[in-house]
Amino acid sequence: MRSLPTWRTYPLLAKNQYRIAFRQMQSQQGWFMRIVLAFMMAYSAFILLTLGFFFDRFSIELWPDATAVDVVNRSLLAGFVSLFFIRFLFQKTPRMKVVPYLHLPIKKNALVSFFQSASLLSIHNFYPLLFFVPFWMRYVVAEGSLVGNSMWIISIFLLLIASHFANLLLRSILKRRATLFYLWMTLFIATAFVDETAGIGLQKRASEYLFSNILSGEFSGLFLLVAFTLFMLASSTVSLHRAIGNSHDDSHAEPAKTRSFEVPSDWGLFGQLLRIELLLMWRNRRPRHYLFVSLLFSTMYLVFMLASGTAFDGIAFSALLGLFASGGFALNYGQLMFGWDSSYYPALVSRNVSYSELIRAKITVLQISCGVLFVGSLPLFIWLRPDLVPLHFSFMFYNAGVTTMLIMELASRNRQFIDIGKSGGFFNYEGFSAKHWLWFIPTALPPLLFLQVMNDSPRLGLVVLASIGFLSLLLTGGWTRYFARGLASRKHSMLEGYRTSAR
Amino acid sequence: MHVELNQIQKRYGDKIALNVPAWSLEPGEVLGLVGSNGAGKTTFLRILLDLLKPDEGHVRMDGRELSKDASWRTRTGSFLDRSFLIEYLTIPEYLEFVGTTFGLSKREIKANLQPFEPFLPVSRVDRSRLIRDLSTGNAKKVGILAALFVRPEFVVLDEPFANLDPPSQIQLKNLLVSMAEKDNTTMIISSHDLGHVTDVCKRITLLDRGSVQRDVETSEKTLADLNAYFSGEAVSSAT
Repeated sequence: MRSLPTWRTYPLLAKNQYRIAFRQMQSQQGWFMRIVLAFMMAYSAFILLTLGFFFDRFSIELWPDATAVDVVNRSLLAGFVSLFFIRFLFQKTPRMKVVPYLHLPIKKNALVSFFQSASLLSIHNFYPLLFFVPFWMRYVVAEGSLVGNSMWIISIFLLLIASHFANLLLRSILKRRATLFYLWMTLFIATAFVDETAGIGLQKRASEYLFSNILSGEFSGLFLLVAFTLFMLASSTVSLHRAIGNSHDDSHAEPAKTRSFEVPSDWGLFGQLLRIELLLMWRNRRPRHYLFVSLLFSTMYLVFMLASGTAFDGIAFSALLGLFASGGFALNYGQLMFGWDSSYYPALVSRNVSYSELIRAKITVLQISCGVLFVGSLPLFIWLRPDLVPLHFSFMFYNAGVTTMLIMELASRNRQFIDIGKSGGFFNYEGFSAKHWLWFIPTALPPLLFLQVMNDSPRLGLVVLASIGFLSLLLTGGWTRYFARGLASRKHSMLEGYRTSAR
Repeated sequence: MHVELNQIQKRYGDKIALNVPAWSLEPGEVLGLVGSNGAGKTTFLRILLDLLKPDEGHVRMDGRELSKDASWRTRTGSFLDRSFLIEYLTIPEYLEFVGTTFGLSKREIKANLQPFEPFLPVSRVDRSRLIRDLSTGNAKKVGILAALFVRPEFVVLDEPFANLDPPSQIQLKNLLVSMAEKDNTTMIISSHDLGHVTDVCKRITLLDRGSVQRDVETSEKTLADLNAYFSGEAVSSAT
């Protein structure tokens, strides 16, 4: 039988992809989530457009001696590397989309070229343009020649395309040679860190040299970018070909080896449940993603916020910082607990698993995370804002004692199925509902308002906050019994919710 | 274990998924649950395991109401589908978890698994392989093994023979028969395989459109009767 001609393949695949995207949009979120998502998208688009059109107003404050174009030119390479990391965390690859078509009489080349091209229709490629296009119109066009500024915007498009395909390529390498990949990434981050902190500024100078040359109409820089983009496109295409070649034989493929760990026998069921919770995080894509994002948030974000100086002088903002610095994991990962277990919840509730032990294991994970994040971020506080160390200490107790319980109250009402094997990318809000957004009010507002009220004697405020947390920690047993009763009474509705939302 | 269903009714919207006025199972009895797709078999089993709340009626195990007394869970082994497996665990990790829920020590778990070695050689499996990486048949074997190796008084299995290779089907049949005879285990086995189910079970309950149509002791005629029943249904559903 002859394969379907390429000219008929593309419209067929496009129609299917459109249907899939449309139905996913329709089925995944309720009206509240759609409104929240639309607001978030509109808000970030507005921020990017404003930055693009009025960049000099921001840059003049921070870099008074440089023009807006100079500032952007010297930051472009670093900016694209940062965007690349975001892509790497969130962007999906087309491999899985190709697999359902492999048994059909469609040419493999046509499949690969279609899905490689279609993958470019990504929010990761579209959103940066909301900054770059207005910036180009407002600032770049005014500076260079017609040829130069046309080449500049072309180079931006090339960088977007190159980083898009570089991400697809790296994801495929990660799948095959994880150790090599992590080594390479560590080396890269370390080099960039040394370059920046030691004042070498190699990256900035290279970026400025490259894009200033392009803007002045020099073709060599553009050729370099074209060559780099083509190399990434070709490499990721070859990689996709290889990947789908292997996926024919997935059933016989050697699965990834995994490491286990033992829990002491005398920990009994609690130990087993604790192990299951930790393995859930480590062995499944979406929970693991939440773990990494929490760690990233608690380090990089913290450094940025603490280093920004005046931004956190207000007590209210400090309270938010305290809440996230040690409670980031509990807030982030904890809110979807039980939802994480949705695919095997019958395995727990049909057996002799006491709800108290189940709750105890989960609360223990969250409380330990508060302690670990506290210790992990303490050096950052000491280094950058030693005056905030008491706040950090106070919130560690508050988070372990109170925030954890508030999150458990929310989590024990989760009724949405979560596919833990799916990527945790942008706009994957599976498992979330309106209450997850609204729950931020009882979680964040009380400590914030309390510290505001205690503004005149902040030390006393922090002592009271830590004491409330400590007291609640002592009452963990009582909390556990309370949540266990709730969980038992909601057993059938949770099972029903998981079953129906999984369809 | 004595199992009893009283005035059980479960509706989905206007449709009655299950309507069982009275039904019981005696200790040591091995029952086959048969019926076409959508007949209500899985709903029946889910209600029996307290995974689904009936709109009316109640289930009793040894005289105690299922929803009010959870002690039955320490005496029941069950496997309905893959949601009973924690797929990101390895086989030993999962079996250790299940054994612990039944209060077994690691040594007891190992000893209990020994008789099931021909069915699933746990001592020789790849200890780093996750359940989600297993074939459908092997994952099913893990689920069945988890339901049986804890030596429960009551076993509930949904479609245990489907997806198993022929040697495993025969081994499973022998295991079930042996457990029923030696340990006096009470069992409910739902299956579309009429041959296997009549081989293993002493009694057959036939469900259709949510109601019990027949409830008979297995005899030499049962398989032929069931074949005739379902052939007639196939003709009527085709016409």
